[in-house]
Amino acid sequence: MEKQIEELRSNAIAAIDKAAKSLNDLNDIRVKYLGKKGELTSILRGMGKLSAEDRPRIGQIVNKARQELEDLIAEKNEQLKQEELETRLINERIDVTLPGRTNPHGHIHPLTLTLLQIKEIFMRMGFSVEEGPEIEKDYYNFEALNLPKDHPARDMQDSFYITEDILMRSQTSPVQARTMEAHEPNSPIRMIAPGRVYRRDDYDATHSPMFTQVEGMVIDKGISLADLKGTLETFLKQTFGPKVKVRFRPSFFPFTEPSAEVDISCVMCKGKGCRVCKGTGWLEILGSGMIHPNVLKMSGYDPEQVSGFAFGMGVERIAMLVYGIDDLRLFYDNDLRFLKQF
Amino acid sequence: MQVSIKWLHDYIDFNESAEELADKLTMAGIPVENVIRADEGLDKVVTGRIESIVPHPDSDHMVITQMNVGLAENVQIVTGAQNVREGQIVPVAMIGANLPNGMKISKGKLRGVASNGMLCSAQELKLDLTKLPEEQKTGIYILPEDTAIGIPAKEVLGLDDVVLEFELTANRGDCFSVWGLVREVAVLTGNTPKWPEIKVDENEPENTSDMVSVNIEAPELCYRFSSRVLKNVKIGPSPEWMQQRLEGAGIRAINNVVDVTNFVMVELGQPMHAYDYDQVAGHTLIARKAVAGENLHTLDDSSRLAKGEELVIADSEKPAGLAGVMGGLESEVTENTTTVILEAAAFNGPSIRRTSRSCGLHSEASGRFERGVDVTETQRALNRAAQLLQEMGACTVTKGIVDVYPEPKQPVSVYFTAEQINNRLGTDIPAEKMVEILESLCFGVTAEGEGYRVSVPSWRNDVTFMEDLSEEIARIYGFDNIHAGKPQGCMVQGRQSERQEFIDMSRLCLSYMGMSEELSFSFTSPDMLDKMNLPADHELRKAIPIMNPLTDEYPLVRTSLIASVLENAVRNISRKNEDLKLFDIAPVFYPKQLPLTELPIESVKIAGLMCGRRYPLGWNNDNNAQIDFYDAKGIVEEYLDKITVNRYTVEAGEHYAMHPGKTALFKKGKEVIAAVGELHPKIAENMGITKKCYIFDMDVDVLMKYMSKKITIEQLPKFPGITRDLAMLVDANVTEAEIERVISKNAGNLFKGVTLFDVYTGKQVEEGKKSIAFTMQFQSNERTLTDKEVDEAFQNILAAVQKEFNAELRG
Repeated sequence: MEKQIEELRSNAIAAIDKAAKSLNDLNDIRVKYLGKKGELTSILRGMGKLSAEDRPRIGQIVNKARQELEDLIAEKNEQLKQEELETRLINERIDVTLPGRTNPHGHIHPLTLTLLQIKEIFMRMGFSVEEGPEIEKDYYNFEALNLPKDHPARDMQDSFYITEDILMRSQTSPVQARTMEAHEPNSPIRMIAPGRVYRRDDYDATHSPMFTQVEGMVIDKGISLADLKGTLETFLKQTFGPKVKVRFRPSFFPFTEPSAEVDISCVMCKGKGCRVCKGTGWLEILGSGMIHPNVLKMSGYDPEQVSGFAFGMGVERIAMLVYGIDDLRLFYDNDLRFLKQF
Repeated sequence: MQVSIKWLHDYIDFNESAEELADKLTMAGIPVENVIRADEGLDKVVTGRIESIVPHPDSDHMVITQMNVGLAENVQIVTGAQNVREGQIVPVAMIGANLPNGMKISKGKLRGVASNGMLCSAQELKLDLTKLPEEQKTGIYILPEDTAIGIPAKEVLGLDDVVLEFELTANRGDCFSVWGLVREVAVLTGNTPKWPEIKVDENEPENTSDMVSVNIEAPELCYRFSSRVLKNVKIGPSPEWMQQRLEGAGIRAINNVVDVTNFVMVELGQPMHAYDYDQVAGHTLIARKAVAGENLHTLDDSSRLAKGEELVIADSEKPAGLAGVMGGLESEVTENTTTVILEAAAFNGPSIRRTSRSCGLHSEASGRFERGVDVTETQRALNRAAQLLQEMGACTVTKGIVDVYPEPKQPVSVYFTAEQINNRLGTDIPAEKMVEILESLCFGVTAEGEGYRVSVPSWRNDVTFMEDLSEEIARIYGFDNIHAGKPQGCMVQGRQSERQEFIDMSRLCLSYMGMSEELSFSFTSPDMLDKMNLPADHELRKAIPIMNPLTDEYPLVRTSLIASVLENAVRNISRKNEDLKLFDIAPVFYPKQLPLTELPIESVKIAGLMCGRRYPLGWNNDNNAQIDFYDAKGIVEEYLDKITVNRYTVEAGEHYAMHPGKTALFKKGKEVIAAVGELHPKIAENMGITKKCYIFDMDVDVLMKYMSKKITIEQLPKFPGITRDLAMLVDANVTEAEIERVISKNAGNLFKGVTLFDVYTGKQVEEGKKSIAFTMQFQSNERTLTDKEVDEAFQNILAAVQKEFNAELRG
């Protein structure tokens, strides 16, 4: 009897160890030995025929063998499961280099992107964003800016006229006067006015009959040229990076006094001199100045009470420098291959 | 304005190089645009004498020269030139020279003979050929026999001058003169100018006033008119030094009288004119307004009919010239002139500007008048001109000046305090420094009360306010020396309007949905409106015309953004960018009436166009799928959802640019909030588009009216819902919207919504019919639904669609 059990046990161990190649095989082995009708189970069932003194001893042997086999099967089961998983993982490999399925997004125009950034910088500095009409009265476009008819400075901008008194605005500066008029006299203003402007310029690599400007204006008690410098330096360093050098150069605009052109160190050659900066190391980027007392007066502000500065910049110029674009026409050509790069 | 460094040096000494001076001037608000060096490329070109010439052993046309260039040994140079002779002195480019024509000179051999340089021609040195005698234009340039040997050729060729080209601002009329610039140079370099002494020997016994009379009939346009008479005039060339100065200023030499008037204009900034005394009828000059229709015969030998606004200088019979713009042909100084009337006058700038623009005549003189001349300068200019001609022995001078100056200019005075200036500049400049700066610029300064009373020099027409003084002080003090501050003051909120936010957000939404933004010009043309198939009386035909358009291409301001998008689409398609999803957000312009009497309505539109592949070409995409109507409609639906415009109706309708059978109008009540459809085939044909394009058209202000803005959430259901599918056959022309409406109306109060999930025509579906399938959701907030009550609702729906559409249930 004991011998028979031992034989069964060693057969089963051998079968588990060698014969079992899959979970199914292992299950068959389990059924064969430990199942309801299994060989070891049968011995247990036949225990009734044994003598009373043999019964506990044999029972113990059988149970021990059973426990041993169950453990072995469980262990084997784990092992086989692991192997099967590994095989599956290998078989299920895919080409992960194939492109993913996307929902392709579109593109924001580079001028819009530049404008969004300019607005963001100024809004963080407390500037509001104002608007004005693109077809504008001569009064707002010129006269309210201290540019009476036949002023030679009107030559600086050749405009598209609709009638004698209405034109396509040649600058965003008319929004200055409109904004002042919309405010209580002498109340503080910090605003920028982005928008399209129009000039009778031939369409070439650096000119366009329509382009984009951002006008800016700050009015309050005690505003000075130093404040203008600080504000524009902050803006330019945020736009072109902290290392950019900024230079203020006296100039003339009829609506500001003193007036300054603002140059930045050339972003291409870092100021060494190159084709883009015509060898000067500097790039003209902004016009600015302290608002002329006549401009304040004409819009109901009192130059004795408040002062202010104003500035204006071309968005195309900034976008060209930021993105390394060498032909302004690309902006209005809207070639998809260009738009897709943004 | 341009002027040579030599001319500046005539009146002031300075050690700065041209570049350094240009930089100082630029940083003080006198912008120098270019420093032009005539000697560019002539660094290693010297004078040399041909000591010997021998034939080249291997060449018929070349010779070997030994050149004495002032070195210990002669230099051997091979040349192919035919005009060289022993003993001649010529320009020699030495090894390392980089000639103005781009040629680099290096050691070499010509047919086996060593050549250590090059003999130069006028062309190789880029000399002005038009000024050379015929024989010097080709071959080696031959220098005068007495030329020193071994000196830089530029000195001999008169090319050692440097010209500063200014881009002066409109306010600084005074800097349109050498004297004006010298005044600035003096302040910036700390040197003292040495002005020439101006004195005239009035050596004719006659009084000028007996010979000529001057009359100002239009004092609002002519502030002052001064004249002198020169007798015994001998017309001839002006001296070489004067021609050189004029050339440096970009003015062509003509004859001594004209050159002197130009010289004085550039020197002093006072434009002048010379009349042939004998051609001036009545020996009278009258400054008056032209009579409309009057004939103006100007120096350029063209006849113009006066508009009647122009200021003319007339003699007793007829106009003798357009004042300040161009002289008349009849009274021009010619070789036969013996007596000259010199004019130095001050005219109204805006009037000169109008005349010069309307005639298309821009001259050195008109440019100066436009910016304003120094009205006190006329006598000095006349004297200077007379002096110069006298020194040339070209004339005698009568006694006195005829000077009509009805309202002498009062000196301008401005008051300032140091505090005012420092407040404006944000600086701490001591008052003494301010006074020093102003005095260096020739302002008279006297202390008065807390501040100073400043008298403005007559030539500074641009200074009238304290603010102007602040600029003078700032530009000389140096903008660089002003610190960068931050505006103080009350707290302000940085924000943009809701409309601007909306537009920015719309751009982002549409781009996230795969649309790319374009920007287009606000112009259009009648041709484009024709192509848009607009009937003659269509509202959009009323585009605003531009008075002075740039080209015929864009004479109108646009009324249709769709048209702009189409133009960009056509351009892209022609470049094989055929899969397009473009949008533009920009204004169109509707006049309230034409011609405009008030500003037009500016309406910001959102327009888009889609064509080509639905998906990008890919391994896993349906590469044949083409964009159709429903892609475009989907973009609009999704966009409206994003901007919280909901609960609209959609119906078939019409739009000027869309296929009438494939146009959907999104409506809020009766108002159209969006239109989407296929591009009208006629427009496509007109534009040469062969692909099917789908477009949409919306208006920012209309959309904004219907934004719900605030999101209020709906509670999540506590009880499970039940769905039922309904598949049926209906007539093909029954619209989905109609069926949905009937379903919703008959579904009872447990109904939560319906979703269309299939539409099919084709195989297995009878001709003229379509199969359409919906899934319907039922839900209660109070309890779990039973199949029975849902079945009841479903039966009601079924009955309704059977009744309304004769629908046939599909298994």
